[in-house]
Amino acid sequence: MADESLLSDDLLRQLMATGHVDILIGVPTLNNAATVVDVVRAAQHGIATYFPRARALIFNADSGSDDGTPTLVRDATTDDTGTVSASRPLRTTNRITTPYHGLPGKGSAMRVIFAAADLLSADAVVTLDPNVTSVMPEWIPALAAPVRDGRADLVAPRYPRAAADAPLVTQLVRPLVRAAYGWTLSEPLMGEFGCSRPFASHCLELSGIGTGATPEGVDLWMVAEALVKGFRPAQAALGPRLLGASRKRPALPDVFQQVMDAVCACLELHDSYWLPRGAADPVPCFGTLNPAVEPGPRPDVAAMAETFARDVAALHPLLTTILTGPTLARLTAAAATPAQLVYDDDLWADTVFEFLLAYHRAVMTREHVTRTLLPLYLGRTAAFLMRHASSDQATVDAAFESLCLAFERAKPSAAAQWTKA
Amino acid sequence: MTAGDPLWFKDAVIYQLHVKTFLDSDGDGVGDFRGLTSRLDYLEALGVNTLWLLPTFPSPFRDDGYDIADYYSIHPMYGTMEDFQAFLAAAHERKLRVVTELVLNHTSDKHPWFVEARSSRDNPRRDWYVWSDTDDKYRGVRVIFIDTETSNWAWDPVSKQYYWHRFFSHQPDLNYDNPAVREEMWRVMQFWAQLGVDGFRVDAVPYLVEREGTTCEGMPETHEVIKFLRARLDTHFPGRMLLAEANQVPELVRPYFGDGDEFHMAFHFPLMTRMFMATRLEDRGPLTDIIRRTPTLPENCQWAVFLRNHDELTLEMVTPEEREFMYDEYARDPVARLNLGIRRRLAPLLDGDRRRIELMNGLLMSLPGSPIVYYGDEIGMGDNVYLGDRNGVRTPMQWSGGWNGGFSSADPERLAFAMISNPVYGYQAVNVLAQERSSHTLLNWMRRLIRVRQSTRVFSRGTLTLLEPPNQRVLAYVRAFEKEQVLVVNNLSGTVQAVELDLSQLAGAIPVEMFGQSLFPRIGTQPYLLTLGPHAFYWFRLRRL
Repeated sequence: MADESLLSDDLLRQLMATGHVDILIGVPTLNNAATVVDVVRAAQHGIATYFPRARALIFNADSGSDDGTPTLVRDATTDDTGTVSASRPLRTTNRITTPYHGLPGKGSAMRVIFAAADLLSADAVVTLDPNVTSVMPEWIPALAAPVRDGRADLVAPRYPRAAADAPLVTQLVRPLVRAAYGWTLSEPLMGEFGCSRPFASHCLELSGIGTGATPEGVDLWMVAEALVKGFRPAQAALGPRLLGASRKRPALPDVFQQVMDAVCACLELHDSYWLPRGAADPVPCFGTLNPAVEPGPRPDVAAMAETFARDVAALHPLLTTILTGPTLARLTAAAATPAQLVYDDDLWADTVFEFLLAYHRAVMTREHVTRTLLPLYLGRTAAFLMRHASSDQATVDAAFESLCLAFERAKPSAAAQWTKA
Repeated sequence: MTAGDPLWFKDAVIYQLHVKTFLDSDGDGVGDFRGLTSRLDYLEALGVNTLWLLPTFPSPFRDDGYDIADYYSIHPMYGTMEDFQAFLAAAHERKLRVVTELVLNHTSDKHPWFVEARSSRDNPRRDWYVWSDTDDKYRGVRVIFIDTETSNWAWDPVSKQYYWHRFFSHQPDLNYDNPAVREEMWRVMQFWAQLGVDGFRVDAVPYLVEREGTTCEGMPETHEVIKFLRARLDTHFPGRMLLAEANQVPELVRPYFGDGDEFHMAFHFPLMTRMFMATRLEDRGPLTDIIRRTPTLPENCQWAVFLRNHDELTLEMVTPEEREFMYDEYARDPVARLNLGIRRRLAPLLDGDRRRIELMNGLLMSLPGSPIVYYGDEIGMGDNVYLGDRNGVRTPMQWSGGWNGGFSSADPERLAFAMISNPVYGYQAVNVLAQERSSHTLLNWMRRLIRVRQSTRVFSRGTLTLLEPPNQRVLAYVRAFEKEQVLVVNNLSGTVQAVELDLSQLAGAIPVEMFGQSLFPRIGTQPYLLTLGPHAFYWFRLRRL
């Protein structure tokens, strides 16, 4: 049930005028002037081309942009019949741009979007990241159709990932979430996704989403809720996910901290679900993945390896309270040769799960736990990139899968320790 | 009836009927003029003021009378010329004007002109039609009846040349490059105008003249023909009206009005299609789009608007996506599809939904133009798509629940077209007699609707200003003429809607609902909130007191 306090009178009037919609496309924004126009146009083109008969609403929840983002959204969608699209929807594509009350952040924005979807009885909700420059019209049917067809309640994206693309996802979040929750989901930090109205309504009823959490936290929380509460997951193969160059990205330590906090919080919340889960069940994927695209210049792996080696030595006292003896010994051995760094899948899986247990047991402040993991993550990423510097995509994909299986192997032991703790 | 306001057609509410299927007075199974005359009181009570008759000329009836074999008489099965003149006089007594068909473009291949023309290449009438040694001329010109014809040329085995036909191959096109043809058709018009006919519905106007390398539609020379006929008509019979059938988008129909010196009226085909599309989409976009695209007409001209007629619901002027949508929504059964259209009557198209029927008629009566009611639609008659061609929407009028629905005393097997007899739309369930007995029937509702429309000239002559409420399911506009203003609000959807209208330009006015005379709150500067039931519509006369 929607929480009416979320909705200003003006927004309610706009929703009243819009009425029931088949598809609601949510675009949460905060100072996305550089990229949001193309995102909205892609959405409009997607509706016109693939859902010409649908009642559609492009719903922009803005967190208080001061760069003109709401105006750009309005202008980008003003002309239904102009040059934006060769196709033309049969019905008017409604547009709403609204500021919202509450704490700024993606969580609050999603809460308003879900409230609108709930009130308008939307059959499918698609959320797009306004920072992404590679959104294509085809993403709309890819994310919405499985929901409209009744095949899924939550459609997560699946992007083609090069070796160096989003290592935080491929090296950490993907294998960990897959092993823990027991579902072969490639992109737990969704960015773009489609969902059903029952799922949107479910999220709306819970307090977790609207607490001003980070975007990654909100996305992960939604994925986890879907899996735990029995909503049917699916994946849609999309194209490469490229972010706008002008986007102000937080520093890696901050992002890493936020992601780890989100992952750990979800695992704490849902441990009764994931601890007994066995090997991962497949999540159906609709569509075919396009070739991966290198995200930009490759990182300086030598520097990352040096940092790893230096910090393993410097953080040794802390690591002894987090890691088991055998794991620490293997880690120390790996750090001894940073130029030919080898940080294999099993060691990385053991490392992560032992950090997770330390976080769970609160052997030190949790912020310290996650900050201590960061240089190890850099080392693991550097080792992966060194090994796959010239690998083809198939080999890289196989390596991603191999890593996930290593996490799945490591999980039972960690789960047993978790319970004891 | 020729005296009076020369712009009478602007205030017309037209009733289109088929004499053949309206009322049979002599029991031969075919309607006739005596039968029609006996039902003029019914038409007068309905509130219409103009009758448009489908062709009643002698014909082999391979196109239900649009294949004319003699332009100067009445087919005997409809009666005599005296019967026609008696009908005309009786209609005029009741202030009902009469519009007849004028099929300029082609004749029947059984017409003596064509029989003569094909008899030899040297025959004086040879040049009254369009001939060619090959079928290569005018290559690329579209075929209209795509379900029946594959070419616009047909081989004549008698004179061993091809003849041009834009419609069926048994309907050869007349050659309007021949001045003798123009003079002859003027004589035809003169003949009927002298009898007292008030106007002509001119069939298939765009196709009169052919030119190589063009679409052969709307040629400048076609407009010359029309101007010629119009000038003669104005000179000899002032106050008579010409109504064009040009199945095209309004921008392309506009030239047929000329500078007010070609047609007085023309059908607005896309408006009809868009009404059906908008109510099924529950979105005003298709309608506001076509309204904005509709060009302004000369002061002495008017659109003719309609919901259904004797032809298929045309889908020629929509995109492929829109056509598929319309087929899916209105003609799931492929047998209901014909050419690029749908051969259904109004009530079955709307699933017999009384609210939607009322809304569609409300739109028809409140949008600019002179509305046309197709016979039987005022009682919600059904159709029979299995009768072939477009005959399924031309079945006998259902007057009562008795023998042949009161249409004819003939044996049912002898009727021109079989009665509709199914339990939903059959004459036992849907008929005039039954509907006259209750004030809440569709028939009586239609009478009220027409009466309210005719209570003001704002609908027939007024301007239209579209309002743009945020709720796309609501279509609202203000009609204005001289000092009168009427606010029209239509809920195009099947669910209850709330709408906020910016009526600040009308601040101070008191809306009076025109059907029940109910007063509504005075309009202020704030958005005016209305709620509408499913498919409901309001007409508010705006009073300043």
